Amino acid sequence: MASTETIRPGEASPAGATDFDEVDLVSVQTYWQLVRRRFMRNRTAVFGLVLLSILVFSAIFFPFIGGDAWHLTDLTRGPTDPISITAPLGYDNLGINIFFRLMKGLQTSLIIGFFAVLIIAGIGTAFGSISGYVGGKVDNLMMRIVDVVLSLPGFFLILMLVAFIGSVVSPMVVIIVAIGITGWTTAARLVRAEFLRLRESDFVQAARALGASDSRIIIRHMVPSAMAPVLVAATLGIADAVVTEAALSFLGYGIKPPDASLGNMLTGAQDYFYRQPLWIYYPGITLILVVLAASFLGDGLRDALDPRQKLEA
Amino acid sequence: MATYFVRRLIQAIPIVIGISVISFLIVYLTPGSPVDKFRTPRVSPEMIQNLIRLYGLDQPLPIQFWNWFTHFWSFPWDNLAWGYSFTDGRPVRDKIFQRIPSTLLLMGTSLVVSVIFAIPIGILQAVKQYSWADRLITTFETIGYAMPTFWLGLILKQFFAVNLKWLPLYGQNSLGKQGDIPDMILHLILPVTTLAVVSIAGWSRYMRASMLEVLRQDYVRTARAKGLSSGRVIGRHALRNALIPIVTLLGLTIPSLLSGAAITETVFSWPGLGWLGVQSVGERDYPVVLAVTMIGGMMVIMGNLLADVLYAVVDPRIHY
Amino acid sequence: MTQARGQQDALLEVADLRTHFATADGLVKAVDGVSLRIRPRKTLGVVGESGCGKSITALSIMRLIERPGRIVAGSIKFDGQELTTLPDDEMRNIRGNQISMIFQEPMTSLNPVFTCGDQIAEAVAEHSNIPKKAAWDRAVEMLGQVGIPDAKRRAGEHPHQLSGGMRQRVMIAMALSTDPELLVADEPTTALDVTIQAQILELMKALREKNGMAIMLITHDLGVVAEMSDDVAVMYAGKIVEASDAVTVFDHPHHPYTRGLLASIPRMGHRQERLEVIKGVVPNPLNLPSGCLFKRRCPYAMPICDNQPPLREITPGHVSRCWIAPDGGRPELGEAPTAAEAESAAQTLTVVNP
Repeated sequence: MASTETIRPGEASPAGATDFDEVDLVSVQTYWQLVRRRFMRNRTAVFGLVLLSILVFSAIFFPFIGGDAWHLTDLTRGPTDPISITAPLGYDNLGINIFFRLMKGLQTSLIIGFFAVLIIAGIGTAFGSISGYVGGKVDNLMMRIVDVVLSLPGFFLILMLVAFIGSVVSPMVVIIVAIGITGWTTAARLVRAEFLRLRESDFVQAARALGASDSRIIIRHMVPSAMAPVLVAATLGIADAVVTEAALSFLGYGIKPPDASLGNMLTGAQDYFYRQPLWIYYPGITLILVVLAASFLGDGLRDALDPRQKLEA
Repeated sequence: MATYFVRRLIQAIPIVIGISVISFLIVYLTPGSPVDKFRTPRVSPEMIQNLIRLYGLDQPLPIQFWNWFTHFWSFPWDNLAWGYSFTDGRPVRDKIFQRIPSTLLLMGTSLVVSVIFAIPIGILQAVKQYSWADRLITTFETIGYAMPTFWLGLILKQFFAVNLKWLPLYGQNSLGKQGDIPDMILHLILPVTTLAVVSIAGWSRYMRASMLEVLRQDYVRTARAKGLSSGRVIGRHALRNALIPIVTLLGLTIPSLLSGAAITETVFSWPGLGWLGVQSVGERDYPVVLAVTMIGGMMVIMGNLLADVLYAVVDPRIHY
Repeated sequence: MTQARGQQDALLEVADLRTHFATADGLVKAVDGVSLRIRPRKTLGVVGESGCGKSITALSIMRLIERPGRIVAGSIKFDGQELTTLPDDEMRNIRGNQISMIFQEPMTSLNPVFTCGDQIAEAVAEHSNIPKKAAWDRAVEMLGQVGIPDAKRRAGEHPHQLSGGMRQRVMIAMALSTDPELLVADEPTTALDVTIQAQILELMKALREKNGMAIMLITHDLGVVAEMSDDVAVMYAGKIVEASDAVTVFDHPHHPYTRGLLASIPRMGHRQERLEVIKGVVPNPLNLPSGCLFKRRCPYAMPICDNQPPLREITPGHVSRCWIAPDGGRPELGEAPTAAEAESAAQTLTVVNP
């Protein structure tokens, strides 16, 4: 067979074959662009974000325009009054506007959820970052503390704290703190795991070689990178916190009337099982919407932030 | 295995101490004193002092802790070991032991029901991933999982007990029918359904995820390449592997059933440990509260240990 | 090499096979018009970089393609029987029985919760009516045949108790336990140490002679092909770019890609200034270039390469998908056909040829 010498590499004209305009630029994207793209593509996650935004907006807007409507009794009104634009869910047995009370309860729930999760993220990040960064015996001891907290029956502990201290301090504050100090372990473990990984990574090694101090390395370099799992845990934590508050108030230990909470509205509705069967649905469905919104958003964030999913997305 | 078991038990000791300290501190540091409720004009200050001495409340904190702790672990427990209830004066031990069977009955039944439903549902979903059935079930799971147990309990109660009057509203037995098994089963249906709906939603999601993970594995492809039927590939090769994380998770979630049961028990006035705990917190019956908290903590430790043991049983790669 | 390959009876004949994957990002044409033929008792080496579609071709033959993938067109004839349209249960009867397959990753290809003997006996029992005990005995016998010492004891062990090489032997034992006529081996030695690789290849050779079976050997390693194959097919981006008998491909490669592959293996006794490597990477399957799929990496790229080259016969029994003239010369100017002509030429040739 003839040799292949007739054409040499590079001899061919560059005109046709090397059309680099076709080179695809999909891979040239920053991490956050990618996260955004993955998130926006996830319909459930976007739905969660929209739903949560609507709930947050409602919890701010309606109590604001409603003023005192959420707790003002009006004995000229009652459950038999027809519903109207100003009272879309009617009035309860004390003549209180149910819709505005529900929105006030939602506000309470979201405030508790938000601040409880803030405490969880704060303690979790601090604890996890120190444990993961220092390592060794300190890490070991700190992880044993996590084991102890994890082994405590969380709901009972919160119940005890709220019941015992809630009568002295504002129950809302106690609920927030109680959920916060019992719920930080997952966040701490996630941050620790991230720190163990980052500690050996090139950019931290480089920062150390350049003489950066420990606290500077932790705060400037490692904490931002470890925030992704905390953000996910915190978002999912909102659902837990809101349900916990509702359960406490439902059992009669959390927020007590006249203050409004989704939980104590349920307790109140229980007495009207026969005559007003719909009353237990209003706070219940609101609660479910909050939980769904937070878990959709949290799951969506987790999927979007996970760098391992780059190829599949 | 045995040495591993012993080592794990020893490792659990500091955790037990940690739980004890924290539970004790919460009760101790609570504002107000257990004797406050006796402070009425008809009780003299001397009698209050006597009570304080009687309960050992005048001792320094570490001594009080030590007394309580050593008594708590003095096996076999006599009447004194866990103290006496503040509300009715009965030994705490008796109150607790009396409630344990009811809680076990409720938790055990709901666990069995959940697993019986959740595993086939999860398998079906994984095998028919993205089918309309999978999507429909996923929707139900999402809602079921988001549903707070106490709310679901209320709905079920309203519908089946109040409106339809098919099932009893609360309790473990109707009045005067103590120990009547068919009557008890009727009473079990609503609380078990309440607990099961939420856990079926959770378990089947895990099962689906676990099965999907396994179905991607090379050995499943090998099994298919052998010419096995899809029933055999899924029912034998995939299922055995997919169950490994589920069984482990089972051990880990048993303790969380207690707090789930606490709410459900309260909703249905089911005379279990959880309801006792909730009641005692309200009555500030500290000895009972402490005992329930400690038992809750022990259940977590035991659940973890059980998870490890089960893991070794179902996975031949694990040897301790 | 003037043998009339077309007239020989083929054990397996794949014609214009197209296996596509409908992914979220678009349609991936993983296998796009592949035709190949495996002669009885002979070994066909299928060579190409990872992602070129060689594994998907193998899985298509086994009908093991899973969603979102699908065989969209083409024919796969085994012993004259069309496999693509065979009902599932009849396909199961062939799969693991007349056509067996072994995979790249011995570490993960065996089920961790069952013993090795159990997994082999299961394959035996599936395709025959012998009692359990006999199936187990057959499993032990096969483990002995693939050179596993103390086979009786090993049969009762779980896969994690065996090394990678041993596990691949177990896979081979499982595949051969039903005396298949065709063994599809997808990178059987890639995950193994070099010395173990040689042992496994020797074992496959020995068993090939003993059982008289054909092998479809998929690999990216031309050394393995040289060692094992009678025929060679080179794949690139879902298409066959060159195919012939092994001697022709090694001695007179025509396609620049094949030349590149050959140049990138170090050879004993040849002083080379540096090892040649093929520039660039495999094109994104979602964004394939127009015309020749290899042109961006090709050192010989010419204007004509903007048209898709057909798979055409260079010498009898030797086909190549390149515009370079059969004698290696530059294609005559003005010869470039329109895209439509090239496409129709390509289609007739792929179906009729190798």
